[in-house]
Amino acid sequence: MSETNDRVEIKLKGRIDSGNAAAIETEIQQKLSGKENVPVLFDMTDLEYISSAGLRILLRVKKSFPDLTITNASSEVYEILEMTGFTEMMKVEKAYRVMSVEGCEVIGIGANGIVYRVDQDTVVKAYKNADALEDIQHEREVARLALILGIPTAISYDVVRVGDSYGSVFELLNARPFSSILAEHPEKIDWCAKEYVDLLKKIHGTLVPEGKLPDLKDTVIGWAEFMQEYLPKDKGEKLLSMIKAVPHDDHMVHGDYHTKNVMLQGDEVLLIDMDTLAVGHPIFELASVFNSLQGYAELDHSLLKSFQGYDYEIGREFLTKVLSLYLGTTNPKKIQEVEDKARIVGYTRMIRRSIRRKGLETEQGRAEIAFWKERLLKLLDEYDTLLFTPDELVLDAVEENLPLLQEFIEKHLEETNCPAKAKMQIELASEEIFVNIVNYAYAPEKGTATVRVEVSDDPVCVTITFLDRGVPYDPLAKEDPDVTLSAEDREIGGLGIFLTKKTMDDVSYEYKDGQNILTLKKNL
Amino acid sequence: MLNIEKRITDTKAVFALEGRLDTVTSPDLENALKASIEKITDLELDLGKLEYISSAGLRVLLSAHKTMNKQGSMKVTNVNSAISEIFEVTGFSDILTIE
Repeated sequence: MSETNDRVEIKLKGRIDSGNAAAIETEIQQKLSGKENVPVLFDMTDLEYISSAGLRILLRVKKSFPDLTITNASSEVYEILEMTGFTEMMKVEKAYRVMSVEGCEVIGIGANGIVYRVDQDTVVKAYKNADALEDIQHEREVARLALILGIPTAISYDVVRVGDSYGSVFELLNARPFSSILAEHPEKIDWCAKEYVDLLKKIHGTLVPEGKLPDLKDTVIGWAEFMQEYLPKDKGEKLLSMIKAVPHDDHMVHGDYHTKNVMLQGDEVLLIDMDTLAVGHPIFELASVFNSLQGYAELDHSLLKSFQGYDYEIGREFLTKVLSLYLGTTNPKKIQEVEDKARIVGYTRMIRRSIRRKGLETEQGRAEIAFWKERLLKLLDEYDTLLFTPDELVLDAVEENLPLLQEFIEKHLEETNCPAKAKMQIELASEEIFVNIVNYAYAPEKGTATVRVEVSDDPVCVTITFLDRGVPYDPLAKEDPDVTLSAEDREIGGLGIFLTKKTMDDVSYEYKDGQNILTLKKNL
Repeated sequence: MLNIEKRITDTKAVFALEGRLDTVTSPDLENALKASIEKITDLELDLGKLEYISSAGLRVLLSAHKTMNKQGSMKVTNVNSAISEIFEVTGFSDILTIE
């Protein structure tokens, strides 16, 4: 046993059972006599077995010394502690297996550690800092949360000692990061972009229970606050207010979504490096997507090759494809607009990061910071908001909101050269679908309707999607009214859906993920 | 928004509509008609300034047409081409008297 002023460390050896428990307890109590409220640490490196008599000693010590830690419990001892619920009652650290990564292939470099391939189906993420256990615990927890919420990810199954720090062990069978697929098979760029965006949309479509993950917006506000002293006053304030104006969003964001963190294993696409998982608005995620594919290598293009393994031009092409798929548009203006907004947040992040890493003290750092800053200032002149999804309107499904819907649709049609007749038909069909939701989806309760408008070029086509979470109901299944009947024989009603079908080029319905989804298409 | 301009002389009435005849505004026309057409035998709906009609508007027209069939006649005038097409598609062009 050893002791210092601020804590008592007790080494337990061999076996503790009813035969020797009393003697050991006396010895422990002598060590602790006269002490109050000091941390007590039991080092179990050499403990082979502990019976219930021994466990009772621990409980009694815990009563007088609540700050009790057990370290280096062998797997046998750990199993006993876990079965009896002791791991819930006190802090218990396992004896960690020691793993060497010497000579192992580096397959990823993250903010907190390096990922090595140890053998064909095992990788270990070795953390940089010595007190990484909390980080490891955090990453395991968020990875588990993501998996439960439906995000395909790898969860580490063991924690090991790597040098002076710790590592997380994962099973990754023949997994390849998207970065190497793009580097070795640039012809697969379309496939990569589609899979990369599908996963990204899945992440951004995942609602996270409140309080489970940090809010990325808070982090980004922190970056902008840091930037205040490095930007002209008006520009700094504008940046901060634009970020603050981004609404809170409870959907998941990865936080470091670059092509080394998306892996192909078999035919499954997996997300790794989960420690930055958060909730927030997609613009913050797109900022790091931009940085990883272009931003940080904008001044020195060779940096992209050395980090991701593919050329800067491939990164450029990939980013455009990704944004196009993500936004569901081929309109270059729209893509440019969203990329620019992502750049605003992206440059902010990189400048702050560089300054904090003493970038202002080196020539290369100063050149980079000046380069990014010039671009940032220009963008702050051009844009007043970071939002890019005004293509969507969520409104209470009540009749009085019809003018809001009409205004929303009209605004979108203004941007096209939509002929008056088509304009009226689109508005008509939208009204009929909306009124249908108002009357049937939630009655007698209330609910909301989501409306999305998308205008695509070449050929110009307007797509309007209505979503509601009311009772499943396919309005298209209803039989068309007989429009040849005379006035006296005509029913009053039933014309709305019929008109919609007749005037649109395509009308479709599906019930998916608890939502009625009705889509209208009109070619212009 | 829907503006309704009424001109009534003896048993003849002209309702000139301007704006939109939709779910929200149709009840206005319905009420205006109800209040005025009891003794009318000759009803004209002037759609010259009507930009928009939805099924809710069609319902009001059909119901007015049925009422007028019993007590006289109704015609619809100055229909623009977009609304005219809606009448075609729904068979209203065969029911209504359109000038």
